[in-house]
Amino acid sequence: MKKSHLYLVGFVASLAMAGTATQAIADDEITRGQLMAASCKACHNAAGADQGVTDLTRLPAEVIASQMRAFRDGDRDATIMDRHAKGYTDEEIDAMAGYFSRF
Amino acid sequence: MHDFSRRNFLKVAGITSAAAFTGIGCATNGMRGADKAHVVVVGGGSGGATAAKYIKQFSPGMRVTLIEPNATYYTCYGSNWVIGGFAGMDDIAQGYDTLRDEYDIEIVQDRVTAVDASARSVRLEGGDSISYDKLVMSPGIDFRYDDMPGISESDADRIPHAWKAGSQTELLRSQLRDMPNGGVFVMVAPPNPFRCPPGPYERVSLVAHYFKQEKPRSKIIVLDPKDNFSKQGLFEEGWAEHYGDMIEWRAGSAGGRAEEIDVGNMTVLADSGFERVRADVLNFIPPQRAGQIAHDVGLTNDEGWVPVDQLTFKSEMDDNIYVLGDASVAGAMPKSGHSANNQGKIVAAAIVRELSGHDPINPSSANTCYSLVTPEYAISVAAVYQYKDGAQAGVEGAGGVSPSGASSSFRRREAGYTRAWYDGITHDIWG
Repeated sequence: MKKSHLYLVGFVASLAMAGTATQAIADDEITRGQLMAASCKACHNAAGADQGVTDLTRLPAEVIASQMRAFRDGDRDATIMDRHAKGYTDEEIDAMAGYFSRF
Repeated sequence: MHDFSRRNFLKVAGITSAAAFTGIGCATNGMRGADKAHVVVVGGGSGGATAAKYIKQFSPGMRVTLIEPNATYYTCYGSNWVIGGFAGMDDIAQGYDTLRDEYDIEIVQDRVTAVDASARSVRLEGGDSISYDKLVMSPGIDFRYDDMPGISESDADRIPHAWKAGSQTELLRSQLRDMPNGGVFVMVAPPNPFRCPPGPYERVSLVAHYFKQEKPRSKIIVLDPKDNFSKQGLFEEGWAEHYGDMIEWRAGSAGGRAEEIDVGNMTVLADSGFERVRADVLNFIPPQRAGQIAHDVGLTNDEGWVPVDQLTFKSEMDDNIYVLGDASVAGAMPKSGHSANNQGKIVAAAIVRELSGHDPINPSSANTCYSLVTPEYAISVAAVYQYKDGAQAGVEGAGGVSPSGASSSFRRREAGYTRAWYDGITHDIWG
């Protein structure tokens, strides 16, 4: 009895460790931000880059976020990105911006 | 039994290091179920190929098989460029080598003839059966020729629909090339809902572009059962600017509704039979429904489309089948290649999350659709979608069409982005 109790303690301790040590695995859980970034990738990938469509996988997250806000708020000239950017809140922009570099 | 296993497991855990135990714990809790699963995707168009690729991106260990009868897939988007005479079939051809070689997707060149949902397996025309844990179907459209008296599917080799790209695209192109100057091109446009809502109107734009250069005395008549169409104001602005009165669009309530097609005389009866419109080249784009296999499996509703849980695109009829793209009922999302691409990502995420034991996430997606009025003049429509009250709904305040009255340089920039969009989305799907 005592022995199995000790085992159980070990199990709980390991789980507690897993909570921090497995953050990378937890990232494998598809998030909403990741799915939003995947949506953008329909246009914003390596293929359109030489035709003026930015390859977002090569931009820092802060730049993506600031430019999305600029499009949304009318601070940057656009043909279509103003219409897209108005569809996202600040939280959503921040949630998607960090994922592009991982694709 | 469960307790016994757990105790054994704990004992094993006790004699391994904490780090190793962490690894086992993760595999059990997280991606292990997903890693072992086999997803079969039916249809290698925009929706199916995207779903296959993104499942592998989200969960590389998962086994994915893509079944598509054609070795080369011709995109519908861009096919009007071929019909307009300024692009070739090679420009709209896509293949599966990258998906096979770089994404480790098994490509099966065959046609699915049946799905046994209870046994979770699909049967192929070639005789084989393939079993699945999850089935993704992106069957596209088929036509309802029965809705139009006088014409049947076998007439398509003479009166092309050209609404699935490939030999039909080439046929319409060759008919236009052979048409004499001063001829009449008649399009019978489809009722809603149909694949690519602005497509018919881009098509007549680019046929007009070809006529203007090569056959300027020719005429274009669109017989439409509808009273309005996608990007209408922008198309009409562009037509007036570039083609004068070459294109005549007749609304359904103004005699545009075709009642019958006299195939032998290349004549359309319209306006309750009062009008007979003779064509030198006739493009009948039939009313549409989900691809036949969706009907065969029993996934369709009375209107001929596939109802799905629009949060995940899981079929309402079967828990292990997901249906996306033009065949699906997707709320405010139009039947477009861009919608299918975004839905492919939603399906990929939903399947990986479900197999990993996670609840679905509320997806966010978008549509971007460019139409060329001339090769150097484009207009666009955009939208952002979220799942709301059981359906995909447009986010208020976002999206919309290009401005009316914009400068020629604005239209030219959008024409450049039209080509960039094509290169980008085909790279995202097949590249």
